[in-house]
Parts: sequence; C-alpha cells; structure tokens
Amino acid sequence: MSTLLTHIAISDGKIKRSSLEVLSHLRQQAEANGHDTEAVIIDQNASQYVDQVKEYGPSTIYTIEDPIFENHRNTPLLKALGQVMDEADPHVFAFGSTESTKDILGALAARQDAAVLSDVSEFELTDEGIKARRPVMAAKILSDSVAKGDKILVSVRSGSYDLDESSADSEVVNLDFSIDESDIKATLRDIIGADSDKIDLSEAETIVAAGRGAKDDEGQELINELASVLNAGIGASRALTEAGVMDPSLQIGQTGKVVSPQLYIAVGISGAIQHVAGMANSKVIVAINKDPDAPIFDIADYGIVGDLYKVLPPFIEELKKIKS
Amino acid sequence: MKFYVCIKQVPDVDAPIQIKDGNLIQDTDRMILNAYDASAVEEALVLTEEDDDSEVEVVLVGPDKAQETIRKALAMGADKATHIKTNGDENFDSGTYARILAKFFEDKEYDVISCGKQSQDTDAGLTGGMLAQHLDLPYATNAVGLELEDGNLIVKRQGDSGQEVIALPQPCLVTCSNDMNEPRIPSLKGIMQSKRKPMESVELEDLGLDESALQPKTEVTGYMEKPGREPGQKFEGEPDELAEKVAHLLDEEENVV
Ligand SMILES: Cc1cc2nc3c(=O)[nH]c(=O)nc-3n(C[C@H](O)[C@H](O)[C@H](O)COP(=O)(O)OP(=O)(O)OC[C@H]3O[C@@H](n4cnc5c(N)ncnc54)[C@H](O)[C@@H]3O)c2cc1C
Ligand SMILES: Nc1ncnc2c1ncn2[C@@H]1O[C@H](COP(=O)(O)O)[C@@H](O)[C@H]1O
Repeated sequence: MSTLLTHIAISDGKIKRSSLEVLSHLRQQAEANGHDTEAVIIDQNASQYVDQVKEYGPSTIYTIEDPIFENHRNTPLLKALGQVMDEADPHVFAFGSTESTKDILGALAARQDAAVLSDVSEFELTDEGIKARRPVMAAKILSDSVAKGDKILVSVRSGSYDLDESSADSEVVNLDFSIDESDIKATLRDIIGADSDKIDLSEAETIVAAGRGAKDDEGQELINELASVLNAGIGASRALTEAGVMDPSLQIGQTGKVVSPQLYIAVGISGAIQHVAGMANSKVIVAINKDPDAPIFDIADYGIVGDLYKVLPPFIEELKKIKS
Repeated sequence: MKFYVCIKQVPDVDAPIQIKDGNLIQDTDRMILNAYDASAVEEALVLTEEDDDSEVEVVLVGPDKAQETIRKALAMGADKATHIKTNGDENFDSGTYARILAKFFEDKEYDVISCGKQSQDTDAGLTGGMLAQHLDLPYATNAVGLELEDGNLIVKRQGDSGQEVIALPQPCLVTCSNDMNEPRIPSLKGIMQSKRKPMESVELEDLGLDESALQPKTEVTGYMEKPGREPGQKFEGEPDELAEKVAHLLDEEENVV
C-alpha cells in the first residue's frame, strides 16, 4: 500500500477548489487500487481548514501552521513541502495547478529527485507510476505521458474533476516548522492589486471576457454591466491586458489563467489559439463578434454576429428581465 | 554584470499539425525561439543597455538545427552564445534539460540567469525552478516586470491574487512571462552582426554528466486529437432579436443564467 498525498492550497482565506477536486480524484484512485489517501495544509491558520478537508475522506491530514505562510513565498513553502514528504513518504503528491504551485513544482521535483508532470487534465495510477493526459501545442491537441518511479509529483488543471465528498474521521498530525529568516534570501516587498473580494476566475461559474473589440470606455462599461447582472467574473484577452486596459491578473489563456466556468461569454475576442487554450473547457460558450469568420465562432455554442455596442445593451436588458 | 538567458527552440504552435498513429507531425517543420524566452532576452537587453561592462549570453541545449534560433537571439542583441549540442532524437524532459543546464552553469560566474516561464509547445513550466534548485539560487517564476537595484533583482511576479514584488539578491534566477515586454524584431544590422558574434559549441558528452542524469523520468507515449465540441449555432440579423433569443436560450435550454 502506498500513500497518495494531496496539497490543500489556501488563497485569500479559502481552500482552492482545485485542491479538493484533486483530493476527490486521488481518493477514488486510492480506493480502486488499495492505497492510502492523505492531505496536507500549509498555512498561517492551517488548523482552521481541517474540518472541511475531512469531508473529502483522507485518512491523515498533516498541518503546518506558521505565520510565515501568510503570503506565498517559495523558500519556506519548499521547506515545508519537503518536510511533509519526508514524513508521509508519498508515492504520488498531487497539487491543484495554481500560480503558487507553478512557482514551486519544478524546484520541489529537483530537490526530491522526483518525476513530475505539470498541468495535466487527467491522470490515473498504473503499476509503474502514473499515466496522464495533458493539453499541448497551445492546447490544440492532447498528449499522453507516463511518469515513473517511487516519487511522483503531479499538478492538475482546475475543473478537471468533480468534487466528491466522503467524510472520514481523519487523523490530524501537526508538524512543527521553523526556518531562519536568514535562510530566505528572497524578500517579499509588496503585493499589488490583491483583492480577496474579487471573483476567482479559476473557480468562477460565469465569466464575461472582453477583447480588443471592447477596448474603449463604453465597451468596458457594457462589460461591467453584463458581469454584474450575471454575477460573473471578468476576464480579458491579451490584447486588453497588454494595452493596460485591464489588470494582468485577468488574462485568460496560455500565458494567463485556465478557466472552466459553466458559462463563458467572449465579447470582441477573435479566438486566437492562445486565448482558446485557457477557456475551451467552459461548458457553454457564447461569442459576440462582428466578424462572421472570427475563429471564436468555431468553438462557440451560441454565436452572435454583430457589433457588441448594439448587441450588449438589449442582451443586458433581457438578462435583467430573466433574472428578476 | 553578467546575464545568462536560457533559450529553447520549439515548434511553431501556429503552424498546421497532424497526428498520425499517435505521432505528432508538423507539416512545415517550422521551429522558432520560444516566445517566453524572447521576452527574457528582450528584458536582459533592456536591463543591461546602460552598462557597457555587462554581457548577455544565451545558452541553448539542442540539435544543430537550433542554431538558427541562437542566431535570432544574437540578432536581437545578445553578445554571445553557447550551444550545447544534442542529436535531437533524445526524449529529454524538463528534468533532463535542467540537469544539463545545471552542469553547464556549475563552474560559471553570473549575476542573473533568466529562463522563459514555460515552453510554448509543452507548457511544462518546470525547467527554471529545477535549475534554481540544482544551483541553489534564490528564484522567482512568472515575472511580469524586472528591475535592477544595487545587487538585487526586483521581480514583479503574477501570483494567484495580485502581483508579488520580490527582491532577489544576485546571483539569482528568474523565469519570464511574455507579459513583461514586446520582444524587438531583429534589425538588418543586427542580423548581419549576429553572424560575427561568438558562438561556442559544447558536445553534450563533454559536459561530463552521468548517464543516469540524462535519463528522463517522464515520457510522452502518444498524441491525440482533442474531443471536439458539439457544433454550435451562429446567429446573424437584428441585434435586438439576436440578443433576446440568445438570452432565452441560455436560460431555458442551458440553465446557466
Ligand atoms: C506565447 C503566447 C501566449 C499568449 N497568451 C495569451 C493569453 O494567455 N491570452 C490571450 O488572450 N492571448 C494570448 N496570446 C495572444 C493571442 O495570440 C492574441 O493575440 C490575443 O488573444 C488577441 O486578443 P483579442 O482577441 O482581444 O484581439 P484581436 O485578435 O484583435 O480580436 C479582436 C476581435 O474583436 C472583434 N471586434 C472588434 N470590434 C468589434 C465590435 N464593435 N463588436 C464586436 N466585435 C468586434 C474583431 O472582429 C476581432 O475578432 C498569446 C500569444 C503568444 C504568442
Ligand atoms: N533545451 C533547452 N535549452 C535551453 N533552455 C531551455 C531548454 N529547455 C528549457 N529551457 C528553459 O526552460 C524554459 C521552459 O521550461 P519548460 O516549460 O519546463 O520546458 C524555457 O523557456 C528555457 O528558458
């Protein structure tokens, strides 16, 4: 029997849903293969999240609680993750693919001499290790990969698995942590633009995304209004983050975030492969674009060919009626 | 100051591709400088522009064919290059490249090593962090802005919520997003000059890596098409009518509003 360990990421005081998706999947894999499921929470208030994690049925929950984990910093996080790996000796250590995960995954793999597959959309255990599927070539196609060995790290795109609760009376193991400030050579000076009230795009149910077509003030106003009617997160194509019209953290796509909402409304976005790479897994895609040949229409469930300045006002009105 | 930029040659994802018997075939075989590495080169050039004593060197691990990519970086303005030669038919993963690069850097002196945040074709995003670990360097990934400040590299990185501003004491390593700049297009003069710039070739065997270090721990076993989406409906006509129709479809058919 081996141990399948999941990292429970905390961001803005909440458990990242992608971690629980991964834990759900890993527990199913463990049950099918006779393995043990465990989880680890590393945070300034780690113990606060234990009860919620128990709902997903790990046999053991490790916690590392220290004020140093208030903000993401790679040196202490790597040390803590290494400590948990020494303690739990996992065969597979799985992560939700957050920006913080991306920051440490390579370094952790090198430190632990582990095999690693990042940003997979599916994976399963095999006799030798794991087999995983990943989108490649700007998500135009999929590749199958295998990772071998007795230590394997894997990070999983958000929205890849459904949540599956199965409450357990998990054993909680608190691990002591200490690190010398002098061992942390990097200094975190500032965090700009963090807003815990903002809808987290990687978990949003509905996203309204704006592209170059909606670049001016009037376009932005319409986008804001549409998003507010639908209680949606706002996203952007690179054209708008690059132009400084929208915050860089809102970019969706290969460079930006990967999202998987129930509803994605692309407004004035052409549908370049690098944008589509981040949103093609949305359940329902609506595109509003004045160019009938725009590639976004190839993947849209509902395409409206038209000028967004003429389409959005009646669209917003109609949605308001429906919602009221 | 000495800047090293690790650059990779990758297939152009915009070129047409096909899958035959699980193999990936790119019709044009068009290879390019990884876009994220182009941003890393650009930023190194901008940061060292004012300082005559500084040097930007690019390092690439790859087959002979990859020399055109090295020339591209030299034509952009990098001062010199090292080409670590491979046959091109190895199945190296990020881990292998990181171990090769770590061996290369073992006896080098530098202030900053920069990498791309990920390869444009595989989106792995692992090599930079691995290399930092092997070389025991402070590092930051996914940089969207860089500044120099006596002895420190100030990195603005895109985090999960907001941008983290991190001071890294040199020597350090950073991986770059293409959100930090618009890489310059080499000028004709740059292209002419690049032909005379020093490019050192190193045979992979001569680096003295153990055979085991070259063994990848992961392997791609095949490629496949993505399951297609159901064909959608495209509406043209009066904006008011279309807006109303689609709003109702989202409500009644899809139940998503
Ligand atoms: C390595 C790499 C990574 C990248 N990563 C990303 C990424 O993460 N995210 C991303 O988005 N891009 C990314 N890109 C850039 C991508 O290739 C495109 O350039 C970008 O997505 C274009 O944005 P856009 O669709 O808003 O603009 P455009 O392509 O200019 O499209 C604008 C669209 O708006 C329509 N339009 C204009 N006016 C109106 C109107 N009044 N009403 C209706 N429609 C209108 C036009 O018909 C057009 O289709 C990346 C590129 C590279 C090379
Ligand atoms: N063969 C290589 N030669 C030089 N640098 C490389 C090579 N492979 C990866 N890198 C660096 O690592 C980054 C990508 O890492 P990854 O996404 O793990 O492939 C690139 O942007 C380069 O900076």
